[in-house]
Amino acid sequence: MTDATQTPRARLALLRPGSWRPLAGLGLAFAIAAALIAIAGANPLTAFGAALSGAFGSPGQVATALTKATPYLLCSTGVALCFRAGVINIGGEGQIALGGLAATAAALAWPIADPFAATAAALAAGALGGLAWAALAAVLHLTRRVHEVLITLLMNFIALLMVGETLREGLGEVGAGFPQSPLLPRAVWLTRLMPPTSLNVGVFIALAVALLAALLLWRTTFGFAIRATGASRRAAAYAGFSVPGVVFGVMCLGGATAGLAGAVQVMGVQYRLIEGYSTGFGFISVAIALLGGLDPLLLIPASVFFGFLETGMAAMQRQVGVPSALVGVIEGLVMLTVLAGTASGARQARV
Amino acid sequence: MDWAHLLDLLAATIRIATPLAFAAMGGILSERAGVFAVGLEGMMLSGACGAAVGAVLLGPAAGILGAALCGGAMGAVIATVTVRHGADNMVTGIAANILAIGLTNFLVRVLLGHGASPRIHIDLLGPVRIPLLADLPGLGPLLFDQPWLTYMAALVPLPLTLFLSRSRWGLTLRAAGENPLAVFAVGGDPLAIRFRAVVACGAVAGIGGAVLVLGQVGTFTDNMTAGRGYLALAAIIVGRWTPWPTIAACLLFAAADALTLRVQVFSLPVSSYVVQMLPYALALAVLVGLGHSARLPAAAGTTFRRGGG
Repeated sequence: MTDATQTPRARLALLRPGSWRPLAGLGLAFAIAAALIAIAGANPLTAFGAALSGAFGSPGQVATALTKATPYLLCSTGVALCFRAGVINIGGEGQIALGGLAATAAALAWPIADPFAATAAALAAGALGGLAWAALAAVLHLTRRVHEVLITLLMNFIALLMVGETLREGLGEVGAGFPQSPLLPRAVWLTRLMPPTSLNVGVFIALAVALLAALLLWRTTFGFAIRATGASRRAAAYAGFSVPGVVFGVMCLGGATAGLAGAVQVMGVQYRLIEGYSTGFGFISVAIALLGGLDPLLLIPASVFFGFLETGMAAMQRQVGVPSALVGVIEGLVMLTVLAGTASGARQARV
Repeated sequence: MDWAHLLDLLAATIRIATPLAFAAMGGILSERAGVFAVGLEGMMLSGACGAAVGAVLLGPAAGILGAALCGGAMGAVIATVTVRHGADNMVTGIAANILAIGLTNFLVRVLLGHGASPRIHIDLLGPVRIPLLADLPGLGPLLFDQPWLTYMAALVPLPLTLFLSRSRWGLTLRAAGENPLAVFAVGGDPLAIRFRAVVACGAVAGIGGAVLVLGQVGTFTDNMTAGRGYLALAAIIVGRWTPWPTIAACLLFAAADALTLRVQVFSLPVSSYVVQMLPYALALAVLVGLGHSARLPAAAGTTFRRGGG
């Protein structure tokens, strides 16, 4: 008999592409949700029907769901890359918030007349903001050898409070009565695709990032280094990859996509920075990354699904009176079932 | 700044520290056994929900029991996924926290509000006056005229310290967190130990949630723990996984939190946001400053498999 202590993150990183486990987790989550709906005294079929028609009933509803999915897709892409390398970056919350802050600060401080240049500059600033915060976490993790989850988790709270502080001091709108920035200059507003809904070109940015991440992960040397590091840091080092380099690189990528998510949300939906505008985005993105099996391409349907789930459940509450808090139940259960399933099943996995 | 303001600050500090202390003491059990307690927030929130439902339906004693049961149940969910299935502790904890927000929000509406946000009113647990001590001038009435849950929070570190450092069970629990193979080698079952530790953690943290509902707010509101579980997690780090220093960290964090509402009273040169950052920055500084000597249990976050390979 052999005994072994192992790091669970290695097994998380080995999630096979195209695994059926996330779908089984989703099925289980919905079965429990149906039971809860029955406890609430409603017919689960009627309730899910209301949710479906609420999600897909009109083009406007679909656009709303896609708008919600946009930051989720961006952030979960970064989370998936990190998890693939065995780096449990749960700093999305803070990285998104700082991305939005950086984009806002750049757009307000250095107005550029040309819309294209202005938008590109603000988006880049957002990505850099998230990247810088993640890079700081990576440096602390690598130099002091402290668990990255504890660092990214603690840094989330600091980042959120930093946003509050800047909105109180320099960036805040005078007399708004709520911690928010003034409206951004029109030049950085992302083009709306389907007014009056908030759907904007950010959705294409998110798609492009997911496609690029898939290419990076499956078709490049760095992508192989990511997967090798996730499978076994020792083996990756033996194969000649710099493990600290990969960890740093993947954290920076994760921070950049999260920062971009914040920038897109600020520039495409609200046109201003509002305190707490991204609450929960980072954690939901972890759920999406798991549901999508850490495969950037599968994150596209996974995040769109979560977008529809949120709009659908809101409609269900309006029509059937079942509390929409069920969204959180389903999100949490999907995460738990996928985690339990992959941990037990990753034994046959390959890089 | 005068005496009355200082007493007011101290009273608020004790009030805020009480639920934190329960959560942190539970978290120490879990983390010393080798399971990161990121799910503390969810366990506390489940406990708060259990306390509200129990107290409304059956009375305050049932509220405390309900809190321990619901917190323990959330602990069992986390333990099943992390300990039994060997999933990543941290991500599981986050998942449990998301689940707890949704589930408590849903259940409170369904069980107490017929689908809508319920109006719950629970009579607060009254203060228990300790004779003689409460008559001491100055701090007497402040420290010795508190609800009994507050006294309990102040006393929990004593049995916990004795349990961890002096009892056979405590030794095995710590061994499961430092070197599970050694536990296995002497015929113990590190997985069973960890499972029980996480469930116990949930029950204790759940009582922390009950303090909020039964001792302070008198109702249940959505996501009412509002990050206190994460704060307790930071307190454990600052207290370096030992009960008394962790209690001290809880008091320090509570004082910082109490100050955020009183920044102007004490005419501090910084904003409330900066004061709120203090606990997290301090925890980060301890982790980063001490690095590997921060005394994180050696096998925390790893899993253990019999006959694996």
